[in-house]
Amino acid sequence: MRLLCVVVAAAAFAACGRDGSSIALGLAGPFSQARGVAMERAARLAVDEINARGGVRGRPLALVIVDDSARPERALRAAQELYGNRATVAVIGHLTSSTTLAASAVYNGGTTPLVAISPSASAPEIGTAGPYTFRICPSDEIHGVQLALWARRQLGATRAAVFYENEEYGRGVRATFAAQFDGVGGVVVESYPYVHDTPDFEPFAAHAMRVAQVDVVMVAGARGDGERLLEALRRESPTTPVVASDGMAGVEAARDLAEGVYVSTAWLPDGTSEETRRFVDAYRRAWGGEVPDHRGAGAYDIVHLLARAIEAVGPNRERIRTYLAGVGQQSPAFDGVTGRTAFDEHGDVIGKPVAIGVVSSGRLVSADGR
Amino acid sequence: MNPTLLYRTITGRIAAGFVTLGLGLFLVAVVGAAALRSIGDRIVADLSNLQQTTSLTTDLVSSVFDELQAAERYLATQISSDRDEFAAAAEQVFALQRQLRTVPRLSSDDRQTATQIAEAGAAVQADYALAHILSDLGREPEAERQAALARDASVNLTRLARTLEQSQSALAVSGAANLAATARRREVLLVLALTISLVLASAVTLTTLRAVRIPLARLVTAAERFGGGDLRAVPQSEMPRELELLSGAMESIGARLRPVVGDVVTESNRIALSAGDLSAVSEQLAASSGQVSSAMVSIAAGASRQRENLGRVRSALGHVRTASGENATAAAEVTALGEGVGRLAGGHQTDVLAARQALLNLREVVTATSSQVARLIELAGAIDDFVQLIKRISSQTNLLALNAAIEAARAGEQGRGFAVVAEEVRQLADESAAAAEQVAQTTTAIREQVTEVARTLGGGQVAVSGVTEVAQSAAQGLEDIVRRVAQIESAASRVASVARESRQVVESLDHNVAEAAAASEAHAAAADQVMAATQEQGASTEEMAAAAGDLLQAAEKLRGLVSGFRV
Repeated sequence: MRLLCVVVAAAAFAACGRDGSSIALGLAGPFSQARGVAMERAARLAVDEINARGGVRGRPLALVIVDDSARPERALRAAQELYGNRATVAVIGHLTSSTTLAASAVYNGGTTPLVAISPSASAPEIGTAGPYTFRICPSDEIHGVQLALWARRQLGATRAAVFYENEEYGRGVRATFAAQFDGVGGVVVESYPYVHDTPDFEPFAAHAMRVAQVDVVMVAGARGDGERLLEALRRESPTTPVVASDGMAGVEAARDLAEGVYVSTAWLPDGTSEETRRFVDAYRRAWGGEVPDHRGAGAYDIVHLLARAIEAVGPNRERIRTYLAGVGQQSPAFDGVTGRTAFDEHGDVIGKPVAIGVVSSGRLVSADGR
Repeated sequence: MNPTLLYRTITGRIAAGFVTLGLGLFLVAVVGAAALRSIGDRIVADLSNLQQTTSLTTDLVSSVFDELQAAERYLATQISSDRDEFAAAAEQVFALQRQLRTVPRLSSDDRQTATQIAEAGAAVQADYALAHILSDLGREPEAERQAALARDASVNLTRLARTLEQSQSALAVSGAANLAATARRREVLLVLALTISLVLASAVTLTTLRAVRIPLARLVTAAERFGGGDLRAVPQSEMPRELELLSGAMESIGARLRPVVGDVVTESNRIALSAGDLSAVSEQLAASSGQVSSAMVSIAAGASRQRENLGRVRSALGHVRTASGENATAAAEVTALGEGVGRLAGGHQTDVLAARQALLNLREVVTATSSQVARLIELAGAIDDFVQLIKRISSQTNLLALNAAIEAARAGEQGRGFAVVAEEVRQLADESAAAAEQVAQTTTAIREQVTEVARTLGGGQVAVSGVTEVAQSAAQGLEDIVRRVAQIESAASRVASVARESRQVVESLDHNVAEAAAASEAHAAAADQVMAATQEQGASTEEMAAAAGDLLQAAEKLRGLVSGFRV
């Protein structure tokens, strides 16, 4: 397993540290993949900002970065590694629902359980995966529901094909989408399970267009598979509308291929809030004009939220968990880039909406605004 | 109550021993119960885990089989219900693998296997789904190839499920071994706890026995010393409360005996001294009586010589009668003789007066002795009182020992040792009572002897007063002699003056001489009487000396008896 330990801005910080030793935060996700890039960069940005203003309790924050390749098996090992490192007081991760669920067994076990806050794990089960498992994004239920309503009402579709990655996330979104679409007068004609890194979607696209004859395609999976699916689909039918859940976020980078694809997301970079504008500007400055996605926004918020928690109760695993569980109840809700964050008794985020964005000229913009 | 104070009593120590043992046994019971409970909990948890995993893997394998069948059927027949069945079975497999991943207390390897099962399950479904799509599209060879992939994946899935099941079984087996090891450790712990409590209880028992045995031996030695008459203080030392009480009781007995016995010893020494004095005076008296006797013998001899001389005077007077010329010379001779008799009688008179004075002294001594003997009788009475006191203390000690024996009997097996102690104490009390009885008898004997001495002394007093009267009359007799001799002298001088005048005067003179002879005879008889009285007095004095010897002997005996006591 590749383990990167990055102490950010340690040199610039030397003057302010009370004892110089840093407070370690774990960062776990598929950082070698496109979907993990913004999460890592935004987390680093947040740590830099916090350390620049004096750290937490006079001590700098440091990120312990572990790559889980978005695979549950590797996520387990990553979690064990972070859990075993006593210096690590909380984890930002994991990115997907499968990895978050697999790792939660580790984080919630043993005598010194460890808080892990996911920026983007949206499977419904995450909400009840354990007292130390938190997430800052809304669940699939809302994504599936919003996408089904969009496809039926905004796009007027009645026959849908659902392509889903055959794991927690894909299944979750598929189930809520199918239920909602059926409920508003549509029919899910076919559901196509596939495994991650499926090389060729040609038979799927052919089947959907020729056999099932659908008028809308729903994609619940990761961006890489999604792009290959789009290629196959566009060869069969250049115009059939495609809606996708937030797993596809970042697909806008595929430009023409992704043009017109609707993506549900917890956050859009073109949002008008002050926090969003400041975050997007800072991210651009730090990372050569790149634009962050909702995972980056989530990771950014999580780092700041953890900093607030550690400032309040100190770098202690159990006390951080207790503090987080009271955010929005015992302590004020957290107003960040992704909006207002408050947790329920299970560590699930409360009342966060999702937005539908559309890829337009290589950017994901609010679909409402078009 | 102060725990240190409590531990200083025998019952406290026995209680401490029992409490120690009881606590130890309680600890053993608690540890044993806790061990049983924790072992039980672990067995239940392991079995429940095994049961859950086994049930889930069995269901999983069976669902995979259903999925496989339905998928293959659809490939052969393309009936849509088979596809629905396939989808349903796949959902089932998915749900089961999710449950499998949430089984508590899975090892990290097993968790990895469960995750691999999830991935394999997803692959099986996706592969079959693709095979179905290809089949729908009429691309049978591709569909067949995809189905073969799916079959391989399903074999892999089943293998993973079996692996997990076997691993859980192995876990249960190793769990049993762990339980056995834990049970052995707990057993060692239990034996250790039991041993420690036994050792502690034994230590308490041993110190208790020591704490009883050593002071008890000291008390027994002290009691034996008391029995032997050594009344010195009982040595004090650290000992249990009960023995301290016993030691205190013995010490108070000793403390009350010591001054009394001391008095008795002093008084018996004084009696012995007085008896010695008495004896010495008696001997002196006897010697004085002897002197009186010999003086009387001399008087008697002098009187008979006087009588002979008077006879000779009578015959000389006859010669005077016949030869009156020689009268003057003879009368002068008579005067000279009278003077010799007067000197002799005066010497005798001094001797008799000395004897009388000695007798008076003797009477004083006897009187003093009598009063001392009376005091001795009073002292014997005091000894009686004291013996009564000893008897009372003995009976109280006896009662105390009886109570102790009852308490020991209540204590049961643990009190057996103390019961022996109590019996010893009780016997000691009995012996004390017997010794007191002996002292009482001895005192009675002494009192009888002293009373006897007192009676004898009374007799001696009477005898001495008789002797005094006899000596008085002897002295009067001697005075008579002196007077008569003076008369003789005057008569002789009258003879010398008158002889020359007439024969008639000689006749009357003869008559006077006859009178003198008669008086001389009476004088000799009186001397004989004095001698007899003196002899009688000597016998009385001897008798008194014997009584004084007896008294001395009794006093010595008394001194020997009390000299056994050391105060």
